[in-house]
Amino acid sequence: MRKLLSGFWLLCVLTLPALAQDRTVIGKVTSSDDGTPLPGVTVQVKGTTRGTSTDSEGNYRINAADNARLVFSFIGFNAQEVAIGGRSTVNVTLQSNTTELSEVVVTGYGGTLSKREITGSISKIKGSDIENMPIQSFDRALQGRAAGVQISSANGIPGGAVQVRIRGVGSIAAGTDPLYIVDGVQLNSNRTSSFTSTNPLSFLNPNDIESIEVLKDAAAASIYGSQAANGVVLVTTKKGKAGRTQFNLNTYYAFVEPVKYLDVLNTQQWLQMRTEAVFNQTAATNPAYTVEQARRAVLSSVRLSPELSESEIAALPTYDWQKVGIRSGRGQNYEFSMNGGSDKTTFFISAAYNDQDASLRNVDFKRGTSTINLTHKINNRITLDQKLNLSTITQRGQFGSPNGGTFLGAAAFAGPLIIPVNPIYNPDGSYYGTPATGGLAGILNQNPLMVTELNDIRASTNSAVGNLSLTYRITDNLTLKPFVGMDYRMTRGRYYSDPRTADGINVRGRVQNQFDEITNFISNITLNYNKTFNSVHNVGFLAGAEYRSDVREGISIQAENLPTPDFRYANSAANPIATGGFWTGFRKDALFANLKYEFGGRYVLNLIGRYDGSSRFGRENRYGFFPAAAASWLISEESFLKGSPVVNTLKLRASYGSTGNDQIGNFPSLGLFEGGFGYNNQAGMAPTQLSNPNLKWEQNITTNLGLDFGFFNNRITGAVDVFERRSKDLLLFKPVPFVNGFSEVAQNVGEVKNRGIEFEITTTNFDRGGFKWSTSFNYTFVKSNVTKLFDGITPLATPDSLVALPGNTSVIIGYPLGTIFTSRYAGVNPATGRGMWYDANGNITYAPRNPADFKVMGSNIPTTFGGLTNSFSYAGFDLNVLFQYEFGRKEFNSQGSFMSENGGRLFNTLSEVYNRRWQKPGDITDIPRPYNGNAEIRGSSNLTGTRTLEDASYIRLKQIDFGYNIPAAFAKRVRVNRARLYAQAVNLITWSKWTGYDAEFLNLGAGNSGVVPIARTYTVGLQLGF
Amino acid sequence: MFLTYKYQFTKWLPLVALLSLSSCNDLLDLQPRQSISSSTALSTPEGIDAALNGIYDRLQSPRLYGRDLIAIPEALSDNGRATNKSGRLNAEYLNQVGAHFANWQVAYYAINQANLVLEALPNITDQATRDRYEGEAKFLRALLYFDLMRTYAYDPGVEVAEYNRGGVPLLVTGVLTPDQIQFPARASVADVYKQIYEDLTVASAKLTNTRGQFYANKGAALALFSRVALYNKDYANSVKYATEALAAGPARFLDRDSYLGGWRANRHPESFFEVTYTTPENIGVNESLQTTFTTLVALGDRTRTGGFGDLVPSASLLAALDAEKGTNNQVLDIRRQLYELGTTGRGTAEIESTKFFGKNGAVNLDNVPVIRASEMYLNRAEANYFLGKEEEALADVNAIRTRAGLPARTALAGTDLLNEILRQRRIELAFEGHRWFDLKRRGVDIIKTPTTVPYIDFRVLAQIPVREITNNPNLRQNFGY
Repeated sequence: MRKLLSGFWLLCVLTLPALAQDRTVIGKVTSSDDGTPLPGVTVQVKGTTRGTSTDSEGNYRINAADNARLVFSFIGFNAQEVAIGGRSTVNVTLQSNTTELSEVVVTGYGGTLSKREITGSISKIKGSDIENMPIQSFDRALQGRAAGVQISSANGIPGGAVQVRIRGVGSIAAGTDPLYIVDGVQLNSNRTSSFTSTNPLSFLNPNDIESIEVLKDAAAASIYGSQAANGVVLVTTKKGKAGRTQFNLNTYYAFVEPVKYLDVLNTQQWLQMRTEAVFNQTAATNPAYTVEQARRAVLSSVRLSPELSESEIAALPTYDWQKVGIRSGRGQNYEFSMNGGSDKTTFFISAAYNDQDASLRNVDFKRGTSTINLTHKINNRITLDQKLNLSTITQRGQFGSPNGGTFLGAAAFAGPLIIPVNPIYNPDGSYYGTPATGGLAGILNQNPLMVTELNDIRASTNSAVGNLSLTYRITDNLTLKPFVGMDYRMTRGRYYSDPRTADGINVRGRVQNQFDEITNFISNITLNYNKTFNSVHNVGFLAGAEYRSDVREGISIQAENLPTPDFRYANSAANPIATGGFWTGFRKDALFANLKYEFGGRYVLNLIGRYDGSSRFGRENRYGFFPAAAASWLISEESFLKGSPVVNTLKLRASYGSTGNDQIGNFPSLGLFEGGFGYNNQAGMAPTQLSNPNLKWEQNITTNLGLDFGFFNNRITGAVDVFERRSKDLLLFKPVPFVNGFSEVAQNVGEVKNRGIEFEITTTNFDRGGFKWSTSFNYTFVKSNVTKLFDGITPLATPDSLVALPGNTSVIIGYPLGTIFTSRYAGVNPATGRGMWYDANGNITYAPRNPADFKVMGSNIPTTFGGLTNSFSYAGFDLNVLFQYEFGRKEFNSQGSFMSENGGRLFNTLSEVYNRRWQKPGDITDIPRPYNGNAEIRGSSNLTGTRTLEDASYIRLKQIDFGYNIPAAFAKRVRVNRARLYAQAVNLITWSKWTGYDAEFLNLGAGNSGVVPIARTYTVGLQLGF
Repeated sequence: MFLTYKYQFTKWLPLVALLSLSSCNDLLDLQPRQSISSSTALSTPEGIDAALNGIYDRLQSPRLYGRDLIAIPEALSDNGRATNKSGRLNAEYLNQVGAHFANWQVAYYAINQANLVLEALPNITDQATRDRYEGEAKFLRALLYFDLMRTYAYDPGVEVAEYNRGGVPLLVTGVLTPDQIQFPARASVADVYKQIYEDLTVASAKLTNTRGQFYANKGAALALFSRVALYNKDYANSVKYATEALAAGPARFLDRDSYLGGWRANRHPESFFEVTYTTPENIGVNESLQTTFTTLVALGDRTRTGGFGDLVPSASLLAALDAEKGTNNQVLDIRRQLYELGTTGRGTAEIESTKFFGKNGAVNLDNVPVIRASEMYLNRAEANYFLGKEEEALADVNAIRTRAGLPARTALAGTDLLNEILRQRRIELAFEGHRWFDLKRRGVDIIKTPTTVPYIDFRVLAQIPVREITNNPNLRQNFGY
């Protein structure tokens, strides 16, 4: 090594005298994009080994002969050759290179590759594509932008939970979330707040993101071994650029509005419907019963006088409870960032404040973030990188449960269901229907306005995610990089039930507090080697070792009985009810390596492997090995295609490999006794888990075939990938007969196959006279198929003897995951108004049997999704329009089920259901006659089976982003470098057959009941750079 | 030069390997901190004591004494009428197929815990403690098996031969590891009763009354034995154990003046055994017995609405309560005062049972009496009747009648006497989880609105969880399901 170094110096010394006779040329290199100086551009005298690079201001100085030519090259830009022609100053503007192949993509463990070298399947989203979207976590912004990546918001709460599925769902019982890595730090993506809908990714201001890479196949992801089966999302935040310090101010103001109100009954319609329901039920067994009797009963059941006349009833007012909770809101965002530095030290600093309401009263999100990214070259060999992201978030949550549910006082659930007879306020302006006065009439007897105004439901999350690394360039080809990172998150939640509300009145107020802390520590060391031999053999090697420890601890308290409603903390409570404390954690260690060989710029071979251990796995299976192999062939560089005017890029990729899923819980293999089974104030315990020392990770075997293409001067570029993801050794809880005292034993036995195709295309449709129009479209089709469950399952008693996971008919062999297995609704008997269903033989029945008459009616996992972006730019104006779509998902409209009871219970109903109800013999409709209790004698509930199953497919005009960059000349006059005015509209229009608020929601147990719908948001903003 | 690089690399390799592998298995051996390994959990007296508490804890489940074993017998039978205010128990009231008891899972979990405690008894050296633990575990196991039998199997002597598929699986050894898992068939009715008799024999011999009525005790074991014998048509033993139980305590038969007060005390003085609930164990507004039976939160206060009041007394039960009137046409039966008009907060006001009324000081928080002293009089009356001892039977039924404010009956004999015993049993134990079982064990049709359930209807037995059938090829589902 020393020999090598001295040799290098010798070379420099020897060449120096020869240069002395040449002219000194100076100049500045700038970017064609925005005219900013480009530091680090290589400047070389053609035909010699002489070269230099530009400094932080883009300036260079080089000695060259008068007639020499200079070659300027820089990653991401087209190389340019300029003749000196006797000049002493040569300024150059480099054209940014947007061709597919030179784009740089971030890969695992801090590597970067040009697209040319990639053998796996990686989707990249640039930070600039999602800039200024009024969203709180970047995952929502990925929706419709990356093939193979399906995003569903759990609800419309800002900063709320989001589900990300990469290439389908490959697990039945274990986790299906991808691994998130922010600047090398593997995040703990548990949701920690008990009282608000949270998203572990919302700590990061999306505008601080430089790029997001989604690693989709085994070739790309298997370097992360047992954590990579669900894909990996790599987030890289912005870095400083050497040069003049640049300041950026950015602010927007947002208007949030509900996407929809449902059309529900007025007081008169409701009374009519309920009267019919009561009459129909009672008259079925008591022929003497009259409609008048039913009407009197109904009136008194909602505390109206049974003596009311027709005209008095007609004069009764109707109260709109929906608008009490679901309503418009506001949002605002302020950001300041600066970046700059010298050739030794660069920095990026940003601070931001974001505040946004949900379209539900008193549900909102506030966040402050601060980011510092520093790079410092200690010397020629050693560079230090430091990144730190601090954030504090406060959210106010909805009544009941963070992600919705059938809670009586929850405005999102109860609003459209409260009987419209109930006033909102008393004549004196106080809340109507306080518990002290008996509540509202009907099952939903809480006044949601009062409940939300009096209660206090919130959570604060403080997090720090950061890392420190040293890059030690041992030689020009060999780098050693030790890295330490931390992901710390603290969540403090409180749920205060006011003693004046129904939940608090009988206990005189209740306070619940939560404290939850995640400390996730990661360290690794990687060694990187790269060298080209004989200018055609390029060899790269990465090897590393890693350790991660993750601990989650928390405490909770619940106390009741507060002196007055002004006392809102547990210190003032007379009755401590419950306290809790928990601890859980896991540890991992691993060795990993990646060997790359590239020949002649055309053939690339990659071998990847990771030896991964985890405390989660059973004693007998502590370590697993996850290998992958991948290759690519750049056909367009072959002589027969090179220089073709039509085909610019053509690259074939193939990969095969194995990844693991370790999201099986922290202690799934141990036999356990747990506490919490006390009696009469004495501690108790009970066995809760059978032991299983063989338990291990789930394994995914992924095959990917891809083709990247670029035609007509790369005006048409894109990629097609076909893949198969075979998920095996799936964790299944094999049922144990309850008589043994346990319900199940965990085993690695299941198998699911996902097969799919992804297609991405970008076209430049028009580019002339400064007007540019381009289109990007992506499409994914992926379908799962359950191929294996455990042995010995008794088939369901159906004609085709389906084999389902016991107790879970959403998993049936031969069908996709998320299968909907239910009875098929056959409409209404025109003679009697009774709901009918089909039995196993296709005949009509009034009481379909479970499971004999049940059939597979679809799946709740979408099969087809993607997005379409059209971008226009002209003279400083730019316009981006994104449509996003999702097909193939069916869901029960559970809130719609309540709203379709038609007087079966004391709920309000959809007008549409009321208008189409069966009323007299001969009526042809699919809505049964109103019937108290919903079930006719010897019949199933009218809401049984597919009656409430709906198609949740949708196409959404997701985003319109319109901006105007004030001309540079004008901007200069007001002393700014860059000024941009912008306006956005998000979730503008949705086309869907779904009859509820919105088809996008996650069924987290209560379906869409009480789920805060996504909101439509408009923003206007201003961005200034100086 | 290439060699130089290679040297560099190999120099680092051991360090990399060292960092990771030196630690390995020890490093990854992480134990949970809020639960303990099942292999050592029951090796200490403290562990066994906690495991015993864990069995009582199971009884609190809404699927056992928290709600179902008290409320569903009223809903299925002619005592209760569902109001559909929350929709709960409506299906049970309508006797819809499958709307029935669901105590299987929790009961067997508790039975496994009892079996594990019994197997761990050798770890206790103190004889008195060991006897107490054995007695408590066996009492609890007997109670759990008896409840399983009366919900899922025909009672002895009234089997419907074509439909009869025996008793319930009988497990008397504990399960902690996968290799101990069993796939048992249903034992015969006689075998399960034999096991219950054995457990109760040991329990009544080894238990004392020192721990009071919240725990298994001698009186409770004898009282349960009387009930079990009555169901088994073993009338002599039913009489014998009823008498012994009343002598043993801790329950006492309340007199007329203190009777209603007994229902307002957090600990019912008539209870031999009562499942107790602490404040955090409140079952809450959806499924507690108070919310199930009444909308009221305070007696006589119709302005405040608490629960749903899903199940109220049927017209025929109210008629039975109101049947005997005094000279001023006033209702004589003081037990009628345990029912009153609820609020309109959830719809039409109904006459509701107030037997469960937040007696522990918080709404929806009630200890649940499992066996009461009055039942011993009724057991004994019925058993004596079938033994032909009508005089003794009449004496016991009159004890119940006069205590309730009704005149003593004389010259009652034969079927009239039996009917009066059963009528008093219905009224006395109404809304306490007896009516369905009392009809079923006698093999009579359940005559009720809206539809009568003939005794030969398969809905008389609960459905064994489908999951249990699919996972155990040796287990037969009840007929009709």
